[in-house]
Amino acid sequence: MTDAILNATGVTMRFGGLTALNDVSFSLTEGEVIGLIGPNGAGKTTLFNCLTGLYSPTAGEVALRGKQLPEDPAKVTELGVARTFQNIRLFPSMTAEENVLVGRHCRMKQSPFSSLLHGPGFRRSEAEALTRSAELLEFVGLTRFSDELARNLPYGDQRRLEIARALATDPSVLLLDEPTAGMNAQETEATRRLILSIRELGVSVVVIEHDTKFIFTLCDRVLVLVQGELLVEGTPDEVRGDPRVVEAYLGAPPEEVEAQIHAGEQTP
Amino acid sequence: MTTIEKPRPAAVPEPTGRLAGLAPHARTLRVLGGVLTVVGTYLPWATFVLNDGPYPEQSTLEFFTVPYGVTGFRLHLLLFGIAAIVLALAAVPAKGRMIRALGVGVIAISVVNGLYIVGEGGGLGAITVADGVAFGAIVALIGGVLLVVGANAGGIEPQPVWNWRLNPWVERALLVVVVVVLLLLVAAVLTSGGQGGSGYAGGVFLSFLAAVGAAIAALSASGLLAWVTALTERHRLYSVALLLAAALLLPLTSAGTEYWMTVAATIGVYAATAIGLNIVVGLAGLLDLGYVAFLGIGAFVAANLSGAAASTIGITLPFPLVMVIAAIIAGIFGAIVGSPTLRVRGDYLAIVTLAFGEIFVRSAQNNIGGLTGGSNAIPNIPPVSLFGTDFNEGVEIGALELPPGFLYYVLIVLIISAVMVVFANLKFSRLGRAWIAIREDEDAARAMGIRTGPIKILAFLIGAMLAGLAGAFYAHKLGTVSYESFRFLESVTLLAAVILGGMGTIPGAVLGASVLFVLPEKLREFSEYRLLLFGIALVLIMRFRPQGIVPDAHRRAELAPETDPAIVAAEEKVAAEAKGEKS
Ligand SMILES: Nc1ncnc2c1ncn2[C@@H]1O[C@H](COP(=O)(O)OP(=O)(O)OP(=O)(O)O)[C@@H](O)[C@H]1O
Ligand SMILES: [Mg+2]
Repeated sequence: MTDAILNATGVTMRFGGLTALNDVSFSLTEGEVIGLIGPNGAGKTTLFNCLTGLYSPTAGEVALRGKQLPEDPAKVTELGVARTFQNIRLFPSMTAEENVLVGRHCRMKQSPFSSLLHGPGFRRSEAEALTRSAELLEFVGLTRFSDELARNLPYGDQRRLEIARALATDPSVLLLDEPTAGMNAQETEATRRLILSIRELGVSVVVIEHDTKFIFTLCDRVLVLVQGELLVEGTPDEVRGDPRVVEAYLGAPPEEVEAQIHAGEQTP
Repeated sequence: MTTIEKPRPAAVPEPTGRLAGLAPHARTLRVLGGVLTVVGTYLPWATFVLNDGPYPEQSTLEFFTVPYGVTGFRLHLLLFGIAAIVLALAAVPAKGRMIRALGVGVIAISVVNGLYIVGEGGGLGAITVADGVAFGAIVALIGGVLLVVGANAGGIEPQPVWNWRLNPWVERALLVVVVVVLLLLVAAVLTSGGQGGSGYAGGVFLSFLAAVGAAIAALSASGLLAWVTALTERHRLYSVALLLAAALLLPLTSAGTEYWMTVAATIGVYAATAIGLNIVVGLAGLLDLGYVAFLGIGAFVAANLSGAAASTIGITLPFPLVMVIAAIIAGIFGAIVGSPTLRVRGDYLAIVTLAFGEIFVRSAQNNIGGLTGGSNAIPNIPPVSLFGTDFNEGVEIGALELPPGFLYYVLIVLIISAVMVVFANLKFSRLGRAWIAIREDEDAARAMGIRTGPIKILAFLIGAMLAGLAGAFYAHKLGTVSYESFRFLESVTLLAAVILGGMGTIPGAVLGASVLFVLPEKLREFSEYRLLLFGIALVLIMRFRPQGIVPDAHRRAELAPETDPAIVAAEEKVAAEAKGEKS
């Protein structure tokens, strides 16, 4: 594929005897939203960790625009792959604004000397970063909380703040690990719209989610990971109708699950 | 006054547990506590004339010789007692909170003085009823306990928030008054009890410290302190300038003698070092147990470049240059010590730094490379000499005679100011935010594009440079540099200063260092108990105020109990927003 932005080839991850990922390959096209689904423990988060350099895969490689990604999360982020975490990992005693400013870190032109001396260059870069953070906070709808400590934010807003922080690194690929976990229907819908507008910005997105309705209505393509193996890959319609998915994914008679998926029921 | 906002109506929380039954009697208890404190003040505290210090006239039957006239600690008790009675009867917001602070103060003052009179005076007879009357300490102590119990029984209100706005010029004038009071208070605390080591000196100092502490705590409980803090933030530069001016004016107060100038300069060295350590521990969250080694490295570098007879390098350089070199060399060592942070975290890093501190002490003890003088130390380091003036001499400016040590004091004030600027500038910058992010969650920080390795090493490097700077001053001021001054205990004391004062804040580090390095000076007769007292103080602080004396706004939220007004306000705001969202 010529317009693929992110390519994973044969990614395998073993923890001792446990094979969490086995020969996973996929590619993400520019401007695409991919959904990643699979039962608990399927290896979805592990795949994100391999994509972002937090884990070094036992085998296989990950490339961004044809260039292999380094095994250092900071450098991966600098190159343009940002992420959020399944269990929210904000900087709890920093304000919402400061959290987003930290996301700006790798794009700010401010040397340690400039940090120390607070000269004109410092003021310029801080002003730029502050403007950008304000924009992003507004983009995710958190302007009113900008001076609030991250720990004090309502749960759903913490997830949005994590997205704003990730966007602050100017990513070309955004990896979202269960962005709607713990949200009510209304918040989930808002998040769906948020992800669509992120795509409008030209960012390609991979979303992990258990909420199948959410995934099928949002994504261009869906990957199904089961026990570390990529089982099925296709459009939401293809995946929804695939009997293998229905059986392997939920381990139940197809008809039942079919009904469940169509009803948009959430698995825990 | 242009606008006055009423403080948020303070809902008094219901006391729970054992105190619940006492709630109806809270006011009675408070008044009774106040009355007993006043009565205790006027009772004799010893049955005989104590022959030392300021105690004699204040601890005997003074009432009958100077009716109503009390001085010293009894005056403090009297004021606290009357204040408590007034607060108990008046309708003042947060009065329970204030009375609790006063009560703790009364307890501390009566315990300190009671123990001193017993210990230094004539044994237990001093406060028993042996000759009929001498139990002032016990009565005042009971009064203090009743105040605390009464305050708790009635419920401790949240601290009120005042939003008064005055004419800017009135506000500025008010700040001058506040700063002058602060200056006089600092001078009074520093000199109270006189030079340590004799008779009741330690007692007078501790008692006064308790009184000042309780008074400040009561003011803080009333919300006035927070208001003044908000004032200083509105006039930021002006306040900083005022504080600097006040610091430079200290020599004109009662503390303006050679002895106190020397004590102040020594405190200054540790305050500057503590601010440096605060970068490593408070901002970046990296535990360093061998930090004082960098102060030592700076001091030894300066000693070797000072032209002292014992230094093997025969060169003498001007002091400003020496400071720079000392800072750079200490910084290099800082980077080396920090390099394991690339691999180890948390406890393991602490062990690495501990080992480094130990290596430094042992090497210095063995006169490594002939640079440290071993157990002979490097003595006779000449004083700093700039513009043809030796810094250890007094100066006369017109009619004004300033004591020897004055110039060193000014120098350390300037050094601390510079160190504060470094700390404050870094804290609010790309680098400072990266440090705090690493402290909060290192993996998340990496995922946000922070190259944690170099950033952590920078924390060590900059922290060490600041300590090295202070070390250069230290060598010249003391005139002797010995490995014995840089042992593990000093590292722990510095760390304690940072934690005690409040992690990540400048006033916290300065206050912590002042308290921890003044106490041994004042309590010299207790030198063998120093560590014990130190430990007790730390345990108490961690129990009752885990966020430190002057907490960082952010950390306060993390560690403070639910009564903290800032948190309550924040939570209410969030709740209100959430409600607005739904409707
Ligand atoms: N660092 C690790 N060390 C050992 N085993 C690990 C590690 N990380 C993940 N695993 C294992 O790999 C498997 C896949 O875990 P992963 O967290 O990727 O699942 P997941 O698909 O994200 O599940 P969930 O839907 O519950 O988030 C699990 O069996 C997990 O226990
Ligand atoms: Mg997961």
